[in-house]
Amino acid sequence: MQAFDCAIVGAGPAGMSAALALTQGGADVIVLDRADRAGGQIYRSASSSPLPDAASLGPDYAAGADLITRFERSGAKHLAGADAWHIGDDGRILFSYQGDTRELHCREMLLCPGAMERPMPIPGWTLPGVMTAGAAQVMLKSDAVVADGAVFAGSGPLLYLIVAQYLRLGVRVAALVDTTPRRHYLDAAPLLPRAWRQVGQLRKGLSLLREIRAAGVDTYRYAENLEVIGEETAKGLRFSISGQPHEVSADTVFLHHGVQPNLNMTRAMGLAHHWNNAQMCWQVTVDEFGQSAISHVSVAGDGAGIVGADGACAAGRVVAQNMLYHLGRVSRTGRDRNSHADLYYLSSMKPFRRFIDCLYRPTEALRLPRDTETLVCRCEEQSLGDLRAGFEQGARDPNALKSLTRCGMGPCQGRQCGHVVTGLLAQWRKESPDAVGYYRLRSPQRLLTVDELGRYNTIPAEAAK
Amino acid sequence: MKADALIIGGGIQGCATAYHLARKGVSVIVVEKDYAGRHASGVNAGGVRLLGRDMAEVPLSKASMEMWQTLDEELGHDTGFRRQSLINIAADEGDLDTLRAREAKMHEAGYAYERMIDQAELRDRLPHVNFDCVGGVISELDGYAIPYKATSAFRLAAENLGAKVIEGEEVLSLRRVGNTWLAQGSRNAYEAEAVINCAGAWADRIALMIGDNVPLSHAAPMLMITARMPHFAKPVVGAVSRQLSFKQFENGTVLIGGGAKGFADRANNRTRLDYAKLAAACRTTAEFFPNMRKASINRMWAGLEAYMPDNLPVICPAVNAPRAFHAFGFSAHGFQMGPIVGQVLADLVTGGQSRFNLSPFRIDRFDRKVL
Repeated sequence: MQAFDCAIVGAGPAGMSAALALTQGGADVIVLDRADRAGGQIYRSASSSPLPDAASLGPDYAAGADLITRFERSGAKHLAGADAWHIGDDGRILFSYQGDTRELHCREMLLCPGAMERPMPIPGWTLPGVMTAGAAQVMLKSDAVVADGAVFAGSGPLLYLIVAQYLRLGVRVAALVDTTPRRHYLDAAPLLPRAWRQVGQLRKGLSLLREIRAAGVDTYRYAENLEVIGEETAKGLRFSISGQPHEVSADTVFLHHGVQPNLNMTRAMGLAHHWNNAQMCWQVTVDEFGQSAISHVSVAGDGAGIVGADGACAAGRVVAQNMLYHLGRVSRTGRDRNSHADLYYLSSMKPFRRFIDCLYRPTEALRLPRDTETLVCRCEEQSLGDLRAGFEQGARDPNALKSLTRCGMGPCQGRQCGHVVTGLLAQWRKESPDAVGYYRLRSPQRLLTVDELGRYNTIPAEAAK
Repeated sequence: MKADALIIGGGIQGCATAYHLARKGVSVIVVEKDYAGRHASGVNAGGVRLLGRDMAEVPLSKASMEMWQTLDEELGHDTGFRRQSLINIAADEGDLDTLRAREAKMHEAGYAYERMIDQAELRDRLPHVNFDCVGGVISELDGYAIPYKATSAFRLAAENLGAKVIEGEEVLSLRRVGNTWLAQGSRNAYEAEAVINCAGAWADRIALMIGDNVPLSHAAPMLMITARMPHFAKPVVGAVSRQLSFKQFENGTVLIGGGAKGFADRANNRTRLDYAKLAAACRTTAEFFPNMRKASINRMWAGLEAYMPDNLPVICPAVNAPRAFHAFGFSAHGFQMGPIVGQVLADLVTGGQSRFNLSPFRIDRFDRKVL
């Protein structure tokens, strides 16, 4: 067992930026990350791309390679392939590494669990051939694999980005089916002037849309009533626009309507969470320095509320300053001085974020299932109808519903169904998501073999006597 | 709110008592500080076990076992009950000696449902068992159920008969004025003619409000469940002298228990796991069933459970107050007894008597009589 000043879980933009600032401040840092290389989801394989020309993925991705290089030279100890499965609020982390359970202790802990895509439980969403836009990115970044003639449906910057990346690589795209409702443009319009402070970000988004339009991809806007066609596998997408039915044939359907914090780490620790109504998701409750109610546990990046990669980098640096202050390596005024610019940047991002959140706010029709037979819990194959029956039997709490129906008991531990269950119960109980709550998460955060856990023992037999 | 009987605690004992009282036409309110089945009743291992019971519990446990066989039909809801033999494995000759002594005692008391099995029968019934194991004892009346479903089935059946179950209501004070119990909850006030304490790990506090002291402690027994795996063990499995307990459900998942305890944080309504002990439970499981080594653990958890010093429950009228009753302290084996305990309490509340000898379960059995 080893002890460190700081342990960081997750080597994405937030974790890497924090590690850089912490090592610069003289702290002894370890970074655990499940992947073989640092980068997180957004900079996955950015420093080791299998693509002949990674520049086609855009300048942001290339910038990730630079951050990874600086991180790797920072002096922070990076354990690649270390999969944390228990993160205790006492500063103890248990993780799988090379087939064994290891343990470490730290004074200060930083969780950077990142984001995951919001599930879109439309009819047929669990058919083979239906994936998320994020999965398209993973395939592209890690293995240089693409799906020819796919249809992309949903809304939000990540969806447009992957379509643009496909087009740059010369991959055929069957159609882009945009579900952003007309009224969202009207709702978001008044927020645009203040968002203008982040003109660079806005320009990036607009140029993606221009690029897609210029490539001549079939683009449908204001799509509603989405439904994947197919019996055994996906055969295409059916939808309507202003009441007019449309169909696009494709063997692969990529869905996306935004990202939400990956909750399992922060929930498993029992940190307080609140419902973010602008982003329609749970969010861990932390202060402006990313510090939770447990003073030695902080959270940064998208895992603490969606801020994007640049925001995550700034948040990582800010959290690092606060942790250095806790460790006695900078004074309080030093911390405030060192984090002033990043805090200013983060606050200047807010109007832009509000604009994006409003424009791409996930609609209820895509967030919650409509048909009784549509699956909510993929692991345990529980449908909307099953959950409704459980609710009618008196299971009003997410955990009671889980106990009764097994929804959320599978290996993903509710990653897929958790937000949907909160949403459904809030609707059925006519109460706020905060009143409904969320699953109590169980250890371990990943599947663990009996053999591996059996080899773990903190107290050798002799010492115990 | 007014009722004939106020039951404090919405676990299986409270919900079963509500059901049996409601059947007798008694008006019932159950108040539960969290939600029904939130703690030990909803998250236990689901063992419906007669094998290896303390002699004092055997009559109750046997009667309960008979009730389990037809409980689904009686309640009109699924409890998840499956009749399945239970085998306690003897790892060596010492274990066999223990079993022989137990067998003699059981026969003397006239019980014949526990039967010793030899190595050949053990291997026949559990083909994957470690080859060194020498035999065991079997009860073919046993089984298992799904804890939350069973608790919920009693609750729904009680509600069908008019009982009210109020969740999110913690009893803050309890006092007797004239012939009435007055309870102040976190949201409402209640009046009842009789009060029944089924508050599990919190029952000592309710007992105190009633006027009875009790040496109750609480702990957090831990469980693990694997992802689905091919079927390999039909019987529920335990061991004579080792902390081993597991069962494979119909869906292929395997529940591993064994009684190892985590850390109980009753004040905060939560538990923590002791991974070193879970690791030991994994080693024991793999030792008895080498094929379990590659099983994937999906979830591990602990529940808050109440324990008495002698590991026997409290089931009795209150000693220091009239028209108050207790059923708690089941010490991690009360789930199976739920159906009969509900009936016993309903009998006590309505007629003042039970057909069972309840003297081993008196709340004041630890009071010091004379120096």
